[in-house]
Amino acid sequence: MNGVATPAPRRLASFALASVPGSERAAIAQVADSVADLNLPPGRLDKLKTAVAEATTNAIEHGNDSRPDLAVDIEVFFSGDEIVITVTDRGGRQAAGRLGARAGGDGDDELPDLARKLSGDQGPRGWGLFLIRHMVDDMEVTTSGERRTVRLTMRTPGAAAPSALVRTHSGGVSDG
Amino acid sequence: MDNAVTTLAVRKAGGLTSVVDITGDITAASEPALMSAYEEAERQHAKRLVLNFTGLEYMNSGGIGMLVTLLVRANRQGQPLSAYGLTAHYREIFELTRLDEAITIYDDERSALAG
Repeated sequence: MNGVATPAPRRLASFALASVPGSERAAIAQVADSVADLNLPPGRLDKLKTAVAEATTNAIEHGNDSRPDLAVDIEVFFSGDEIVITVTDRGGRQAAGRLGARAGGDGDDELPDLARKLSGDQGPRGWGLFLIRHMVDDMEVTTSGERRTVRLTMRTPGAAAPSALVRTHSGGVSDG
Repeated sequence: MDNAVTTLAVRKAGGLTSVVDITGDITAASEPALMSAYEEAERQHAKRLVLNFTGLEYMNSGGIGMLVTLLVRANRQGQPLSAYGLTAHYREIFELTRLDEAITIYDDERSALAG
């Protein structure tokens, strides 16, 4: 106990995207916008963007089966020393029995191995979950009924405190 | 929603080397363009392919899968693949995926062509 209180997480953004190809690009843009005030080093920001893109793509293609009527919900939080991003789809029930192995879908049933892919033992795809795990400091998957949430955590020692604003899915801004 | 645009231009770069200039995105949707570029390089009788990523805007895991598919085809033909113009971020992804062991990475076109 050092007596220093950990700041409560502040929600920086909350938005929903249709499960259509290309929505991951919108997710990248909105997440990057929401953390702009934190002045992350460019390399860290690139990693965060890649993790968000892959998690969103998995949510679209595997969680929501690319059904445009099903939304992918994304929230961004900042607690002072870490950014937490949640990506929620409707794949909870279908994933319940295989979360330990596949987490975010994407066909990552086994660790991708380039040599095996080149020899034909593995398909060429299946890099998504692998990339996410290498881009952020922590990733966990939870389910609640049909809702499956991938939680991405990136530690940000020394990040700037953001202005007290929340960007909503409509593009508007409200007090956070 | 999917506004991804990929332009792949293939040019001969002396000898039996073809350079593929990549502009825009490399994703799973890039497969037709990437394979078409590969076939164009074959028409140019390329024995060696150099991928120019200078104009790359975005690449995801699906795009990495496409590069693996390209590698499989090139390996079958005994055509070495090399690349230049990768940002530090994508260079790191090449290292993580070990693509850098199968595709030789150079800093610029001159060194790629000399390699």
